[in-house]
Amino acid sequence: MDEVLAADGLRKSYGDVEALSGVSLSVAEGEVFGLIGPNGAGKTTLVRALTGTTAVDSGSAAILGRDPTEVDRQRLGVLPQEFRPAGRLTARELVAYYAGLYDDARDPDAVLDEVGLADAADTWYENLSGGQQRRACIALTLVNDPDVLFLDEPTTGIDPAGRRSLWGLVEGLAAGGTTVFLTSHSMEEIERLADRVGLLNAGELVTVGRPDDLVTEYGGESRLVVRTDGDADADAALESVSLPAALDATVSGDDITVHGVGPRDIGDVVAAFDDAGVVYESLVWKQPGLEEVYLSLTGEQFEAARPAAAAAVGGDR
Amino acid sequence: MSLAARVRSEFVASWHSFLRRRTAVFFTFFFPAIIVVIFGALVQTQPTGGGLFAEPKEYYIAGYLAVVVLFTPLSRVGSTIARHREGSRFEKLATTPLSRAEWLLAHSLVNVVVIGLAALLLLALSALVTGASIPLTPATLAIVPFVALGVTLFCGLGAVIGSVADSQDGVIAASNAIALPLLFLSETFVTPDLLPAWFVPALNLSPLTYFARGVRALTYSGGDWVTNLAVLAALAVAFFAAGTVAIPRTD
Repeated sequence: MDEVLAADGLRKSYGDVEALSGVSLSVAEGEVFGLIGPNGAGKTTLVRALTGTTAVDSGSAAILGRDPTEVDRQRLGVLPQEFRPAGRLTARELVAYYAGLYDDARDPDAVLDEVGLADAADTWYENLSGGQQRRACIALTLVNDPDVLFLDEPTTGIDPAGRRSLWGLVEGLAAGGTTVFLTSHSMEEIERLADRVGLLNAGELVTVGRPDDLVTEYGGESRLVVRTDGDADADAALESVSLPAALDATVSGDDITVHGVGPRDIGDVVAAFDDAGVVYESLVWKQPGLEEVYLSLTGEQFEAARPAAAAAVGGDR
Repeated sequence: MSLAARVRSEFVASWHSFLRRRTAVFFTFFFPAIIVVIFGALVQTQPTGGGLFAEPKEYYIAGYLAVVVLFTPLSRVGSTIARHREGSRFEKLATTPLSRAEWLLAHSLVNVVVIGLAALLLLALSALVTGASIPLTPATLAIVPFVALGVTLFCGLGAVIGSVADSQDGVIAASNAIALPLLFLSETFVTPDLLPAWFVPALNLSPLTYFARGVRALTYSGGDWVTNLAVLAALAVAFFAAGTVAIPRTD
C-alpha cells in the first residue's frame, strides 16, 4: 500500500525540553496508527509536526507525499487535543461553518447524525455536555470526508456508550480507506482500533508494531491472581500449595499471583489451591495487553503493580 | 468562488457569535451613545472660549466616529485572536483551506458592518443630542469608505496586538495603551494649535489623523478628502497585510 504519512528524524524542542528526539515513522494508506505514551511524551507535538501546525527544528514530515503545509487541505481532517470552537454556535451551525470552508463537504445534518448528535443539533456548543462537545468536534473534523484523519485524544470525556459508537465510526472510516492517526490514553481504544501502535516516551518512539506482536514481545505472561481470605497468611498458604511444574508465584499482601498461567492451566492451579485447603475470596485471570506493554516500556507504575517487597516463591522471577 | 464561500462561512459564524454575546452587543452600541452624550451634551462645545471643545460642534463629529472606528476593531479582533489561540482554533483552521488573509477579511467585514451600524447611530445621536448639522450631499457617502477602510486598518492592528499579546487581558491592556494616545493625538478632539509646535508634524504619523481629516472635510470644513482617503486606503492595505502575517499559523 502507498505511504500516506511519513516522518523522518523529527526533532522539536521547547526551550530546554526536547519534545521530539528524532522520530521516524511511516503510515500506510487505510491504516489506523495508534500513538500511545505518557503525558508530556510528545504525542501532540508529533501530531502538530505531521500536520504542519508546528515548525520542527530538524527532520521532515510528509502527508500524501507532500510537505504538511502544502498538502491539499480538502483531504485532511484534524482534531486538535484541546480544541474548543465558538461556544455560542449550535452544533449544526458549527458543522455548517466548517463545511463552508471546503469546496466539497458533506451534509452537516448527516455528519451530526453519524456522531449521534442529531437530537442536539440546535443546542449551542457551550450548552452541550462534555461528551457531546467532543462529538461535535469530531463531526466538524469529518465534514470534508478526509482521506487522512488525525484524532488527538478524540474520546476524552465521552461516556462508554458514546466511545463505542465513535469507535464504530472510526472502524467504518478505516474500512472505507481513510488513514487514521490516533492518539489516546485508552489502551482499550488503541487495541480495538489500531492496526499498528507506536509508543512515544520522552520524545522518542520506543517501539512500533502490531498490537498483538507488541503484547507478545513486551506484555509479559498471563497470570492468575488469588486473593486469599484476609485472616489467612498468604505466604503460608502458598507454601502449602503444590503448583503445576513450570509455574511460580509471588505474594503481595493478601494476593498470590501465579505467573505464566495459560487458559488451560487455570483448572489445575485452582485445583491445587483447593487441594491445599486455601480459602480465597476471588480469582482473577489476567491476560497481558497493551497496558502491560505501556507499563513495561515506560516504567510507569510497573513497580507498584508488582511490589519489590513481594516474596518470590517457586523460582526466580 | 471558493474564496468567497470561505469568507462568507467565516463571516456568518463570526456574526452569529457576536450577536449572541449580548453584553458585547450592548456595549458596542452603548459606547458611541455615551461618547456623544458626555462630550456633546454634558461637556458641550465652547466656540467662544479656549481649550478643549472650543470648536463648533460639527468639528467633533469626525472625532466621535474615530472613537468607534479605533477602539472597537482593535479590541474585538485582538481578543478574538486570543480566544481562538486559547481554544486551538488556529491550529484547526491551519489544516483547512481557509487562509489567514481570508480569516482576517471575514472578521474585518463583520467589524465594518458592526461599526457601520454604530457609526449611523452615532451620527443620528450627534444630530439629535448636539444639534450638529451634517451636510447631506453625494460626497457625504464617502464617509462609508472612510469607515470601512479605518475599520480594516485597525482590524489589522488588532490582529498584530492579538498575536503578540499572550492573553485576552494582555490584548485589552495593549489596545488601551495604543488607542488612547492615538485618539487624542490624531486631530480628533485636540486641535493641532493646542499642541506644541514641535509635536504637530508627529500627527501625520497616526493613521487615525487621515481618517479624522477626511471625515471632517466631509462633515464640517470641506476641502480635500480624497487625498486623506487615498492615504488611509494605503495604510489599511499595509496594516491588513501586517495583521495577516501576524495571525498565528503554528503553535
